[in-house]
Amino acid sequence: MAAALLLAPVIVLAQTQIYDAKTRTWVDYDNKKARQYYARNKQSPEAFRRQIVTFRTAEPPGTIIIDGNQHFLYLVQPGGQAIRYGIGVGRDGFGWAGIVRVGRTAEWPVWTPPAEMVARDANAAKWAAGMPGGPDNPLGARALYLYAGDQDTIYRIHGTAEPWTIGLDVSSGCIRLNNDDVTDLHSRVQIGAKVIVLMQGAALYKGI
Amino acid sequence: MSREDLKRGGRALLGLAGLLSLGACTPAPPPPEAMARTTLMTAPADLQLLCANAVTSSAGAGVKVLPTGSRLQPDGTFAVDLDAGGKKYSCIVDNNGSVRSVTPV
Repeated sequence: MAAALLLAPVIVLAQTQIYDAKTRTWVDYDNKKARQYYARNKQSPEAFRRQIVTFRTAEPPGTIIIDGNQHFLYLVQPGGQAIRYGIGVGRDGFGWAGIVRVGRTAEWPVWTPPAEMVARDANAAKWAAGMPGGPDNPLGARALYLYAGDQDTIYRIHGTAEPWTIGLDVSSGCIRLNNDDVTDLHSRVQIGAKVIVLMQGAALYKGI
Repeated sequence: MSREDLKRGGRALLGLAGLLSLGACTPAPPPPEAMARTTLMTAPADLQLLCANAVTSSAGAGVKVLPTGSRLQPDGTFAVDLDAGGKKYSCIVDNNGSVRSVTPV
């Protein structure tokens, strides 16, 4: 939900794949397959579900690491571990990389589309003055507002009304989790937490 | 043992042999938590950050170091490209988390 066009990024194209245990092969996982999978299973593939993983890092517990290429968000925990969440990230041309921080958070946030989105998207234009929080709101149940220094980057980590999009490159530069996961993340994160966004080939965030 | 019993036993053995050969030729499936990937074979995020940490000591305190790209090498290690306040570095890290080298580019 952000004016990522300002960053003039060049993303290296990558296709998400999931392992099909029946055919024992890796198969492409696109928007259509993701919708079908979610309709059948009422949740994302197991790899994109919340879980504790080994994570070797010198970053302190509470740091958020976003691996935009592999569609994972890690919340560093003590003891060489992290909580891993599946995410959806910026589609081609809307990815970015950088080191920012959580400036503020909100529950069931109001969504106000940026001017660039209002200009290109008739559905967004309808909510130019702000869409109230709720299950249909694109920001979902919680939002973590990402800041560079004291400035709002206009990027957010947020929930979604389209949970099947986890694992895909779909957003305008924001990082989306399903609503249960973003609620869990929100309950664990401190204001000021460091956020490292890794995205191969994307432009580095240099401010708006 | 009748001729029919021998036939049945032979068929069972053939079936077992088929299953065994299938098992031997098919790679083991990944664990459930690893059943997703992208066609871009980037280094795991923690390995990229271990490289960033190694570069921080070369680049100096206060410089933000960010991995900007990574790839799997033929020997199984990962090469990681890093940006340290505009200065570029290349780092090699292995799957055990050992940083093999850090080189200014």
